Amino acid sequence: MGNLAERLDPDGGGRVNADVSLQGVRPAQVSPAPCVLSVKGICKTYPGVQALQNVDLDLHAGEVHAIMGENGAGKSSLIKAIVGAITCDSGEIRVDGTPVSINTPADAQTLGIAAIHQELSLVPHLSIAQNVFLGREPMTGVPFMVDHRKMADDAAAILHDIGLDCDVGAKADSLKVAHQQVVEIAKALSQNARVLILDEPTASLSDREADALFAMIDRLRAKGTAIVYISHRMNEIGRLADRITVLRDGKRVLSATPSEISTDEIIVAMVGRPVAQPSKEGRADRPVGDAVLELEDVWTGTGLAGITMSIRAGEIVGLAGLVGSGRTEVARAIFGVDPVLAGRIDWMGAPLTGDTPERVKSGIALVPEDRKEQGLCLEQTISQNLLHASFWKVFPKRLFRPSRARSISRDSIAKLRVATPHGEKRVGLLSGGNQQKTVIGKWLNADARLFIFDEPTRGIDIGAKAEIVDLMIALVERGNSVLMISSELPELVGCCDRVYVLREGEVAGELADADLTEDAILRLAMHHD
Amino acid sequence: MTELVAKPPASIGTRLLNMPGAAFITIALVPLFAFSNDAFLGASNLTNIMVQTSILLMVAVPMTYVILTEGLDISMGAVVSLCGVAMALYLADGGGLFVAILIACAVGAAFGAFNGVCVAYFQMPSFVVTLGTMGVAHGLALILTNASIVTGLGDQILALQTGSLAAIPYTVLIAISLYALAHLILYHTRFGTYVFAIGGNRHGLELAGIPVNLWHTGVYVFAGLYAGIAATLLTTRTFSAHPTVAIGMEFDAIAAVILGGTSFDRGKGWLFGTVLGVIAIGVLRNGLNLMAVSSSVQAVAIGLLVIGTLLLDKLRANGWRLT
Repeated sequence: MGNLAERLDPDGGGRVNADVSLQGVRPAQVSPAPCVLSVKGICKTYPGVQALQNVDLDLHAGEVHAIMGENGAGKSSLIKAIVGAITCDSGEIRVDGTPVSINTPADAQTLGIAAIHQELSLVPHLSIAQNVFLGREPMTGVPFMVDHRKMADDAAAILHDIGLDCDVGAKADSLKVAHQQVVEIAKALSQNARVLILDEPTASLSDREADALFAMIDRLRAKGTAIVYISHRMNEIGRLADRITVLRDGKRVLSATPSEISTDEIIVAMVGRPVAQPSKEGRADRPVGDAVLELEDVWTGTGLAGITMSIRAGEIVGLAGLVGSGRTEVARAIFGVDPVLAGRIDWMGAPLTGDTPERVKSGIALVPEDRKEQGLCLEQTISQNLLHASFWKVFPKRLFRPSRARSISRDSIAKLRVATPHGEKRVGLLSGGNQQKTVIGKWLNADARLFIFDEPTRGIDIGAKAEIVDLMIALVERGNSVLMISSELPELVGCCDRVYVLREGEVAGELADADLTEDAILRLAMHHD
Repeated sequence: MTELVAKPPASIGTRLLNMPGAAFITIALVPLFAFSNDAFLGASNLTNIMVQTSILLMVAVPMTYVILTEGLDISMGAVVSLCGVAMALYLADGGGLFVAILIACAVGAAFGAFNGVCVAYFQMPSFVVTLGTMGVAHGLALILTNASIVTGLGDQILALQTGSLAAIPYTVLIAISLYALAHLILYHTRFGTYVFAIGGNRHGLELAGIPVNLWHTGVYVFAGLYAGIAATLLTTRTFSAHPTVAIGMEFDAIAAVILGGTSFDRGKGWLFGTVLGVIAIGVLRNGLNLMAVSSSVQAVAIGLLVIGTLLLDKLRANGWRLT
């Protein structure tokens, strides 16, 4: 991930380099291949939530079946049911037409079903070969002894087949994330899986690595493997899917081949209502005030080489650039994480000094890219998280008052429309979009004036994305300022008043008004002259 | 982004710098003690160190397993004492040595199974569970002996105490073979692989279709069995059993594991490092004994060493910067 070129097309219709669109990627299969696995009428209820309601799914040999849906739509529950990680309340699973019961992951493995889950299942300090054969170690003739040599040879052969040549004796954590993903796939392949389930496999891959993965999927499909592919990215679905199933609220709402439906129809099916792309019309004449933050020739030890930029009150300023261009570093310098070696940063007309806590008190907020690690305490409740940045303000006498905390959290939840029955729910249980709202609420309570958003919509489903964008607009309409770092070009063009494009730690250009197009951003970000 | 698939092998200089803290400590301490006391390098004292470290090794080796699973077994010292008491009572009653050893191992394994079931199946924190069993084992040992020493263990155990092969005491030989066994298990069997995996990615192991709880319990049973062996060696050495003789041994064992470079981080560690750690602690204790430093001061020294080692590791990981 992280390559701007990935998302040139605002409709998400296709990759620049692949130049495919959702329709007509590949003619729909004329004669349906044998049905390897079929799921009929599966139901699963968790306390208070009906995760799956009468879901049907048919997987055919040699087909990529894409499952789509917002977070919480039931995709993960469906996968878990198929691989035996949860037991269903009712329904039937058939393999090759025979009803089977899958109660444990081991059952699924025996039936030839393998899954690559969203969170990696590698053991960091075991070797790559040991990871590939975890739980299925080949044994020597000597009792209990694992055959390390056979394991290494077989693992190397499988990895070579799928395009990774490496020392299989090295520890798994010495690999880049993308290659760890390949090891996961090797793990699934080593089971001779007939059904392979991939849950958001490209979430941590670069463009090129994703292409390699797609090529691998193509080869597996040609070999007759049935593949379940879960992704939020429309262009990947267009590139890969032979069949698309959309889930919403635990129900199957759509099943079709790509040639039968359009991207818009899929989105409508996922969200349940049409989603408007953020557009500039209607808010172009937002009042813009004086400059609140000014950077002048800022140099840091982290690679910023003379950054000059300014942000005015009531303005959304975008920060674009390739990975490594210095976008996050600008945010860190403003937030006081990395020291400024030369140049200066002015905040409300005065030089910005002091450490991060002081900057927070002066009204600067950072909504980090990794909200689970840096933005929230997942084990704590929504109310607690909402107060994390504002104890000093809410409780000036340094004494905690539960009633005041409750009322503040109630207000924030109502204002931000966090979907939760009450504020005492653990933040870790919320969806990505609602977690992001909680982070924003945390800073609103601290009276922040400048909000730095680092990839604010990453990992958030389409409906929540639109809400986050609306929130940003609401922030600036109240006279605050937003600095938004994003790799999503349509989002930058749609939301921002101005965009600074960074390249190798310098400002490659500033775009506004009619000049602000995705094309222009890309050219500035990549151009060398 | 580089296209390197795996990190290149480290140079010799880097590898030396990355040796576990235990190695540095031993290298620094040996000359120090040798200069300050002539007896330190004498044959009888070296044998003494070997025997002492052998017993500690029998606790530190399974402790490495437990720590690799991101757990901790602080009941081991008390369980070793109880195992010793149990076998000594049987021996004093005229029982045979072989059965006595079985009794010691069975007591240890029972405690291990209890710890393991609580930690693996009921998901209780290992620190708290083993704190509880530490109290239970400690109390039982005192009750069984009326809080006094058990003596008159017969001749069989004397043979084990004084016997040697090529001038190496049986105790040391037993410890070496059981270390070798533990090494074989950890690096060449499925159980060993799953020990690393439980600490490294328990959920991943579950998804691989492994009965994780069973294996996880096995780790604690393994620790209990080794506690039985440690009790045997300890009883042999002291020719008696005292209900509190091994209290605090878990402290030295955990210290040795950490000095040896095993960490609580996702199943990171290696078993031979624990040998180095045990030697470092053995040398330190022995040398300070020779210098007539009290055991209380020794505890202070070991405690600080452990924290110092962690600090060193942190500095190393951060490229020699503190934050």
